[in-house]
Amino acid sequence: MELMQRPRFQNAIKALVLLSLALFLYTRLASGTLFFYINQRFMVYTVFAIVGLVLVAISYRPRPRNAAAGEEPHSHHTLGCIGLIIVLLPVVLGVLVPPQPLGAAAMGNRELNITSQTRSVLPAAVRAAAQKDAADRTLLDWLHAFTASPDPARDYAGQPVDVIGFIYHDDRLAENEVLVNRFVVSCCVADASAVSMVVRSPDAAALPNDTWVQVQGVLQPGEWNGKSLPVIVADRVILTDLPNQPYLYP
Amino acid sequence: MICAGLVDLPDLAYNRRMFVDKPQVAPPTDSVIPPTPPTASLRSRWLRWLLTVLLAAAAITAVFYDAFVNGDGLPYLYQRVQTFVTIFLGIFIEAAPFLIAGSIVSGLIAVFVDQSAIDRYLPKAALPAALAGGAMGMVFPVCECGVVPVVRRLYEKGLPLSIGIAFLLAAPVINPIVILSTYSAFGWGSVFVGRIVFSFLIAVVVGMLFSRARPEEVLLPAVCQAHHDACCAVHDHSHHLPSAPLGQRFTQAFNLAGDDFFDMARYLIVGSMLAAGMQTLVPQSALLAVGQGPVLSVIVMQALAFILSVCSTVDAFLALAFAGTFTTGAVVAFLVFGPMVDIKSSLMFLSIFQRRVVAYLIVLPLMLSLLMGVWWNLNLGW
Repeated sequence: MELMQRPRFQNAIKALVLLSLALFLYTRLASGTLFFYINQRFMVYTVFAIVGLVLVAISYRPRPRNAAAGEEPHSHHTLGCIGLIIVLLPVVLGVLVPPQPLGAAAMGNRELNITSQTRSVLPAAVRAAAQKDAADRTLLDWLHAFTASPDPARDYAGQPVDVIGFIYHDDRLAENEVLVNRFVVSCCVADASAVSMVVRSPDAAALPNDTWVQVQGVLQPGEWNGKSLPVIVADRVILTDLPNQPYLYP
Repeated sequence: MICAGLVDLPDLAYNRRMFVDKPQVAPPTDSVIPPTPPTASLRSRWLRWLLTVLLAAAAITAVFYDAFVNGDGLPYLYQRVQTFVTIFLGIFIEAAPFLIAGSIVSGLIAVFVDQSAIDRYLPKAALPAALAGGAMGMVFPVCECGVVPVVRRLYEKGLPLSIGIAFLLAAPVINPIVILSTYSAFGWGSVFVGRIVFSFLIAVVVGMLFSRARPEEVLLPAVCQAHHDACCAVHDHSHHLPSAPLGQRFTQAFNLAGDDFFDMARYLIVGSMLAAGMQTLVPQSALLAVGQGPVLSVIVMQALAFILSVCSTVDAFLALAFAGTFTTGAVVAFLVFGPMVDIKSSLMFLSIFQRRVVAYLIVLPLMLSLLMGVWWNLNLGW
């Protein structure tokens, strides 16, 4: 413990911890996995955080004593062992557990937005979604579009669909049905909610949870949980890689 | 993982005194503040350890039961851990920039703001002081993570209690960025106006409640000591070094920013882990299923705000998603209560205030925003 208390050692430790946090953020930024955690519009804040952490770390550099006339800048706070371990936890967990976006495992605990009737959205988003070409619409756009209609199952029947998402099997679905999903993240994954559409395909049972697929097909009236809604009758289900940005942003 | 958060929690309370918050100043001889006894009695300490261990055991049991009875064992467990880590890092990565920014502002205040300026420019009487505190966010645009180090530093510069508390509670909403994001989510309407008016009112009311309190009853000993010395101008302990060269003053400011960051980051990290743990274990549908009616809906949205711990700069967009499912009063309560108090910010309050006061700072906004939400539902419609 003696060593822990020495100012020079303390400063070195603090600088190292700050630098390792900055490095951790930087590696996530550089590898693109930062988007597994936060909405892309907050990326710039992460850059600020890295700069801030490095600046603060530099301020802990060893300085010659009595360099200037004034007293040497000093710190009154001592970082203890437990404090040190806690502050390093994000780095440790981040290194031990490989980065992976939220997937099927998180679905059970979150609100599913399959019928959009209960979800109120930005009018601007609904308009934007309505203007998009049917084939360009994401899962979220489709949900927005459905909101604008009193009976989406009938109104949208026959429209072509081309969406990307991951597979999730829900017990309430029929044998040949599966959910294709994306998480919508407004800030960070803590506020993620899933948007989902029912896909009808003969391959449905063969697709394991968390498989990323591109679904091409046509909307047909269907049912979910006793409510009428459009389902995708798939012509093709193509396996795809994880998109660069796994989440959708409202 | 979740248990790690739980186990660390009481540690923080003990070690805050033992390891980290070495008093900022040596105890002066002319102090009127009685020294707070730093050690809890042995029995209550054992009791707390026992409680922590039991809680941790319960959490572990819940996780394993869930994994092996409902799920398919280890792979399921691993996925749960993965989800937990992703959510935890999400909250941390989202909040870290605001925390480091707040810490740097706090360091700059420490070095460059003369403490007599606070005396000179800020009102003393209870109501004007609380009003000033509530409006200060317009000048310091900080969210709920950034505001904590700033408030602590201002207390050390002698800021009156009521101003600081009103600022702490109001600033996450009453600031240009959040007002703008609320406007872009809800537009000009009752929710927008309600959020701003009620956040301000609740912050001012809670701030005024503390205007008669003595600092030594409210602040942690270290903060209180600096506060006392600043108020009574015993001698300038501050880091305000007008004579030192500019470079050295900046170094000092950033040093202090680092200390603040370490102090607060511990709470932020434990808080994020708790929030992530709750989100991994408690299904939202369970919460949402009970959320109907003018009273229950408000309580559910408050609970959700507390658990989600989303930054106030963006929670308006999140609230929008619930606007259809929940009563308007509940949505406004979410928008008013969430920024004031959530898991991570209430843990961070522990670095300024005594535990009893932190409890007040959770319960008072909770009750006031509940009242507001229910009143809204009954009088302005659901």
